[in-house]
Amino acid sequence: MQESDNELEAELRRLAADKEPVPAELVQAALDAFGWRDIDAELAELIYDSLADADEASLVRGSPGQRLVSFAVGGMTIDVEVTGAGPGRSVLGQIAPPQRAMVDIRGPQDTVTVEADELGRFRSGPISPGPASLRLRPPPGGDGPAIVTDWISL
Amino acid sequence: MWVSLDDTGLLVRGAADGDEAAWRGLVTRFSGLVWAVARAHRLAHADAADVYQTTWLRLAEHIGRIDHPDRVGAWLATAARRECLQSLRSAAKTAPTDDMDRLDTAPAEGNPTEEAVLAAETEREDAERAATMWRAFARLSGRCRELLRVLMASPPPSYAEVAAALELPLGSIGPTRGRCLQRLREEMAGIRDGLSPST
Repeated sequence: MQESDNELEAELRRLAADKEPVPAELVQAALDAFGWRDIDAELAELIYDSLADADEASLVRGSPGQRLVSFAVGGMTIDVEVTGAGPGRSVLGQIAPPQRAMVDIRGPQDTVTVEADELGRFRSGPISPGPASLRLRPPPGGDGPAIVTDWISL
Repeated sequence: MWVSLDDTGLLVRGAADGDEAAWRGLVTRFSGLVWAVARAHRLAHADAADVYQTTWLRLAEHIGRIDHPDRVGAWLATAARRECLQSLRSAAKTAPTDDMDRLDTAPAEGNPTEEAVLAAETEREDAERAATMWRAFARLSGRCRELLRVLMASPPPSYAEVAAALELPLGSIGPTRGRCLQRLREEMAGIRDGLSPST
């Protein structure tokens, strides 16, 4: 006797729950994500990602392992270039209009802090792959709200 | 925690107000959907894990800015979809994988009482049916595998969430589901009858 569509779908769902459940450590990561939200900071949204624009031609033109992303909030933009691949990858950034800032490169496992100079430029050493977000804070002696960028996956 | 459809908007607003229990409710309700979207795009496990984590981090940051709190499931599905496409485009990521082909081994032999033998036989039949179903699933077209894989999320997603996950027209979900389930039945029958797989 043939089962109905609903019965078959329910059986598939039980199968997926058995064979491919959400790993427990990921569920925990989702719960922990709540602690990353920054209520007082302004959110700089992702306005450009070279990956999204990647077509065959640009993949041929561009150098492999290079990715460009841009974030914007109010009158400020933050351009980030990710160079290298694997554990050696690092970021090169530019804040416009140019200004000094403390830049926290946040990841679920660790946060690396670098300083943007008076031209708004910053660079990091090797950073871990995976989810990343920048948090810009005023330099020592400065004031103003913190700014966090959209999370992206490096 | 049982949550009705109407409560989703309340959970979003609660989480936006800083209520961690409300956030837990959202994770409980939509964790399966986000994972299913990543699996449907056939990402390697590590990349699927990245998509999953990045999606939830994005929601945490946007939680106070969601335009339609009651439709946050579709928001999550869309966000996960975009991360999956980025992941697939990235030269640094590994190639799509077929690790859905993993099958359970047969259950071990039990003690020889009649009940135990019958129970073991039922277990064997269940395991065989599951293996057949999983094998048949792997033989479906990419479109059917994607659609069914998202539908297989626990708890069951709405068709709007499935449509957002795969960028398909909402009206196409029902009919495509019916066609794909019928294809699955045919593949399962083919495997049981020992026929060669359809291409």
